[in-house]
Amino acid sequence: MPSRRLEERRIAFQRYKEDVKRDGKPFYPYAMFHDTVMSLVVVCVIVGLAFVWHYTSLLGPSLAAKADPGTTSFVPRPDWYFYFLFYLLRIFKWPNSVILGTVGIPTILLILLLAIPFIDMRRERRLLRRPIAIVAAVLVALSMGVLTYKGATAKEALGAELLADVPNWVKAEKLPAQAVPGAKLFATSGCLNCHTYLGAGGSQLGAPDLSAEGSKNKGITFQIQHLKCPSCVNKGSPMPSFAAFGDANLRKLAIFLEASKGPK
Amino acid sequence: MEPQQGQGKPHLPPPSLWPIGFAIGIVCILVGLIVSWPAAAVGALVTVVFGFLWVRDVTGGYRHEDAGIEPAVGGPESATGGAPAIPADRGEAAMPEPAPGERFPRSVFLEGATLGLGSVIAGIVTVPILGFTIAPVFQHPHHDEIDLGPITNFKEGQFVITTFLRDPGEGEISRRTAYVRNNGFIDAKPSFTVLSNRCAHLGCPVQPNGPMFDKQKIEETTKTGDVSLIPTLPAGGFGCPCHGGQYDQEGNRTAGPPVRALDRYEFYIRNGRLAVGRTYSVSHVDGAGASAKIHKYKETGPGEHVDGPEQWFYPLQPPT
Amino acid sequence: MPSKRNRKEQMLAAAQYPLDWLEERSGLIGGLRYFLFRKVPGDSGWWHTLGSATLTAFLVQLGTGVILAMYYKPDPNSAYESVQHINNDVTLGWLVRGMHRWGASVFIILIFFHMARVFLFGAYKYPRELNWIVGVLLLPLALLEGFSGYLLPYDQTAYWATVVGININGTAPFLGPFLASFLRSGSEIGADTLSRFYSLHMLLLPGAILGLIGLHLYLVVRLGVSSPPWSSEAAGRDREQAPAVPGSGLVNPAPRGVTKRPD
Repeated sequence: MPSRRLEERRIAFQRYKEDVKRDGKPFYPYAMFHDTVMSLVVVCVIVGLAFVWHYTSLLGPSLAAKADPGTTSFVPRPDWYFYFLFYLLRIFKWPNSVILGTVGIPTILLILLLAIPFIDMRRERRLLRRPIAIVAAVLVALSMGVLTYKGATAKEALGAELLADVPNWVKAEKLPAQAVPGAKLFATSGCLNCHTYLGAGGSQLGAPDLSAEGSKNKGITFQIQHLKCPSCVNKGSPMPSFAAFGDANLRKLAIFLEASKGPK
Repeated sequence: MEPQQGQGKPHLPPPSLWPIGFAIGIVCILVGLIVSWPAAAVGALVTVVFGFLWVRDVTGGYRHEDAGIEPAVGGPESATGGAPAIPADRGEAAMPEPAPGERFPRSVFLEGATLGLGSVIAGIVTVPILGFTIAPVFQHPHHDEIDLGPITNFKEGQFVITTFLRDPGEGEISRRTAYVRNNGFIDAKPSFTVLSNRCAHLGCPVQPNGPMFDKQKIEETTKTGDVSLIPTLPAGGFGCPCHGGQYDQEGNRTAGPPVRALDRYEFYIRNGRLAVGRTYSVSHVDGAGASAKIHKYKETGPGEHVDGPEQWFYPLQPPT
Repeated sequence: MPSKRNRKEQMLAAAQYPLDWLEERSGLIGGLRYFLFRKVPGDSGWWHTLGSATLTAFLVQLGTGVILAMYYKPDPNSAYESVQHINNDVTLGWLVRGMHRWGASVFIILIFFHMARVFLFGAYKYPRELNWIVGVLLLPLALLEGFSGYLLPYDQTAYWATVVGININGTAPFLGPFLASFLRSGSEIGADTLSRFYSLHMLLLPGAILGLIGLHLYLVVRLGVSSPPWSSEAAGRDREQAPAVPGSGLVNPAPRGVTKRPD
């Protein structure tokens, strides 16, 4: 059988060459015209992007602050075409699976790409008769698109930036004045590394949203107890203890949490 | 096109030794111009004499002949009639097996020698280049002790964000941050916890989960460069904003993808001052503060397991 | 012979002379003629321009990169300032840098589009498998170009993204730690890392990409491009009837499988 298939492919290619020789058009200028127009478009797009980058802020700053290897408040982002990998690394949030996100999946993808001509050996080229190819292509395009989108819109909790959000929280939640110190503490204490609050914060670790924590009316004492030892009052809670804050700070946090009755 | 040779008869001049004398004369003139006029004069004389003899010699050989003008080469037809393009389908690239009795039969010796000498060249060129590029991987970097200032700057029980130059010779690019906590005395010896702020996932800068007290910042210039100290209260431990790794105050992983605890620096007390040295990796820490039991490993890159079955992915480490 | 006509011919011949000279000594003109006037399938069209568009984007990168290299200083103490200098002081420096920065994105997008086109056309099939492989090898090289170039402005984003990128390489089993150490030129990112990335970015990787592009194009010219698979005029399509070119023994219809399609 394989030799028959080989023979068929050879014949088909021979026929291709004859068809092209007989009915084909010269590359120059017939095909090259299209190429040239397309290249012009490409160059215009590149120059256009350079202009947009320079004259507007749509494409981000042209240069961030100078590199500071000792920083404690910076979140690096790769170029957009690595967003899929960036988000993949967030998905694999278990220590044992890190290697899958970093090298495993990219390597597998690359090997699959290389192997495509040997996986699909049929002569059929029409899309509708290549259902597996269609499904694979759509899946890959979709997942890359989703990962890139998620990577582009991923939020992270950066104390300095969250602190600037506090006045907005006060407005949205109608927080009383005595809840503001707690809100500031909340913003800078990494709570939003796991939790979310009014859309801010990282959600990939799956901790509950706290925008309306106060509406459960659990009471300030409970909140303090919980912050001191989450797993004592909430069996199996993976949240770490915040007892090191001391009672005064914990009270501030508890007041803030109880005052957060959800956006009004 | 056929290259057109001369018209049958070679018209080379007969061999002559006079040009050598002529050339020596010219050299004498040029040297004389710099060194002394008499030498130049002698050179001129030699040049003239030999030049005359040479010209006589050359013209003697041609005196009865008419040197024909060679026809010009090329023509418009050569471009259009250029070699036809090789058809795309004809591809044969195998080394032909020579027919028996051929003048140059296949010589295993020559083949081997050519390939062998080629590899020798490749080796001679590649070894230094490779050594040059790869050597840094295998060099042990030296780690100076970095002076972080008097230990009185570190309040007991408080974490301090300490930035310092890891390698003063390299400058700002070696600036690193550590979270330093004074654990008080144990057996009359000061104890410190010095956590690296490199996330054990992929090396992002880890941040304290708690307020930083910028107003209490201390700037200090020690003999190993500028050091800045900012107290902080990381009640919630430390968090990495990149991929969400979380650590407690001892550097143990509590959530997210980090594969181990935060790395730590060796520390020394020198004349009442705190100094840090090498870093080492930590799988986890039992207990806390001065009495903590640290499960210590050789320094390993971020994302690499030091314990558990995954450690076998990384059996060898470049020196650090 | 009319002398006027003769003179015109002579002038033409004189104009031709340099070309002939080149052709006689190299055969390049003939090669160019073959490249330009070779036949391509009559139904090839806009879909087939993605490859050459990618090449154009790469050439833009080469050109702008050479100019940037004239001003850029690969040293941690001056890299950032030299990029600022390019941005702010050099005439049209912002434009050249912008084109290089966004040309990279366009280059990579076009690679993906081109790859998608080839995949959907089934153009990777016999006898073009090797060209697909060459193309797939070009993809990681292009991504590595993006990665190595990302560090060069030496701002915060550049530095930390590179830290993470190098550590990602470091998690590869067995050789990963050594690869990371090689990229860093030691156990820590230092002054040599930047110049190492610079060298990779502008010598080694572009050289490899150029070489593979050459091979890629050679294979394209040698094997031809595929017609769109939906085209009723597709070159090399199956025929129900007797061979279109009578007398060509190879096309003599051998019994084929069921994948026949009514024309």
